[in-house]
Amino acid sequence: MTNTSAIRTHDLTKSYGRLTAVRGLNLSVAPKRITAFLGQNGAGKSTTIKMLLGMTRPTSGDGTVLGKRITDPAENRESRRKVAYVAEDKPLYGYMTVEQTILFASSFYSDWRPDEAIRLLSEYRLPPQRKVKSLSKGMRTKLALLLAFARRPELLILDEPSEGLDPVAIEHLLQTLVTRAAEGVAIFFSSHQISEVERVADHVCILEKGCLLVDASLDHLRQFYRRIELVFPFPPPEREFRITGVERIQTKGHQMSVFASSNAQDVVERAHNLNAVSVEVAPVGLRDIFLETVKEN
Amino acid sequence: MLWYKAWLETRSRFLTCLATLTIFCAVFVRHAQGLIGPGWTADYNRLLFVTQQFLVIMWILAVVLLGMGGIVREKAIGTSSLSLSLPVSRARLLAVRVGTGVLEAIALGVAPWTIIFLISFLAGVPILISQVVFYVALLLGGGLTYFAMAVLVSSLLEGEYTAPAVAFAVVLLTAIIFDAWLRPFNLWRMVTGDSYVDRHTYLLAGHFPWRGMLASMSGAAVMLLASIRVIQRRDF
Repeated sequence: MTNTSAIRTHDLTKSYGRLTAVRGLNLSVAPKRITAFLGQNGAGKSTTIKMLLGMTRPTSGDGTVLGKRITDPAENRESRRKVAYVAEDKPLYGYMTVEQTILFASSFYSDWRPDEAIRLLSEYRLPPQRKVKSLSKGMRTKLALLLAFARRPELLILDEPSEGLDPVAIEHLLQTLVTRAAEGVAIFFSSHQISEVERVADHVCILEKGCLLVDASLDHLRQFYRRIELVFPFPPPEREFRITGVERIQTKGHQMSVFASSNAQDVVERAHNLNAVSVEVAPVGLRDIFLETVKEN
Repeated sequence: MLWYKAWLETRSRFLTCLATLTIFCAVFVRHAQGLIGPGWTADYNRLLFVTQQFLVIMWILAVVLLGMGGIVREKAIGTSSLSLSLPVSRARLLAVRVGTGVLEAIALGVAPWTIIFLISFLAGVPILISQVVFYVALLLGGGLTYFAMAVLVSSLLEGEYTAPAVAFAVVLLTAIIFDAWLRPFNLWRMVTGDSYVDRHTYLLAGHFPWRGMLASMSGAAVMLLASIRVIQRRDF
């Protein structure tokens, strides 16, 4: 394991005709950390992941996965030996049984751990002789996760990993992610379940319309993002609060709500200077940060 | 394990086609034996020639079906990201599928003629092994072009039913067009043995059509290389 970024992209862009799915993405995913990749449907998350894994060619820009260039098919193939990937739709071959699927996947990776596969098979209660096409959605997700977790990869890329799982399985998944990161695996995962992300992620990237809007550690977000509720004796002048770090201002009568990614203290000082009657500063959860960021754009 | 996957993916199609072709040939030849009277030799050879016509039609339909599949179809049914995330090149994914398809196509050509040979032998009307080899060589040497065409179509077109529909349409159209305007280059006539059969004895005669075979094999190779190129450049 190297200390360089597990994933790094430089101006990565993907266009489909007139539609630009990903535009000028500069992303860096640190090793041994859990990086969450958030965005609305169609924000470009899956397209980005597909470019990282060589399934889709970037229109422009480049990137590396574990130091191997994603635009070079041979290098990308080499990187995939050390990457475990769980795709959004949990693709599995319906004509194979669970056992055949495990046997098939294990043959491609030198980091496969048969004992771990057996343990997970039992823990997930997957029937080895059952055809994949007759498995429930949750079981398919578990099998897809088994194929990733039964290895010792350097990088885990998970696209909506908890989709279809019951609460017990989700809990197990989150614990596994934390354990794997502690073992030195870089984890890059996309999710719509912000509460899950908030529990395990070290770093958060928010993508909207193909652009990276937020790229910060969760600690940073918790420390600096604030919602400031202000009440004035008169209709407040918004322009006084349009300073660096203020992402969004909403005014209703004499009340003003300021959403700030930094400089909350400056906002408070300006409010006091303008004789605010009430000033309330509250920390903001990741859910609000996500919604405000997306709304703003 | 890619070979294993390709086998699992195609085995039901292959075994169904194998059973259909073999049983059809066996029943057709066995039944027709009873209809042939004295002076049977030319009639029996004619029967074998007719059998080859039917066999070619069914074999081509079978290999077109076997040529379907691959990662473009997987994209349509949502499993392509599993195949493409493996540390394997796209060319190798395609090569294994083609390799499996070719082996199955060979089996589909050899098995029916082996059954015909055995039934004839058991019925006391042994046929020349050289004739059997000639028929099988024509079928495989020329017919694999249709398999390559099916692979190319399945690399170009998405959709579970679009690719086979287009591939069957191409087979039909090429047969009609070549028969109407380009008869000397009609692959169908070469594969069925129509161009080489002696109309008196109904035995395949003359030299083996090496040039025709080479041309059709080259066509197949070009289509397979084009398929690799298409797959390598395609976004999934």
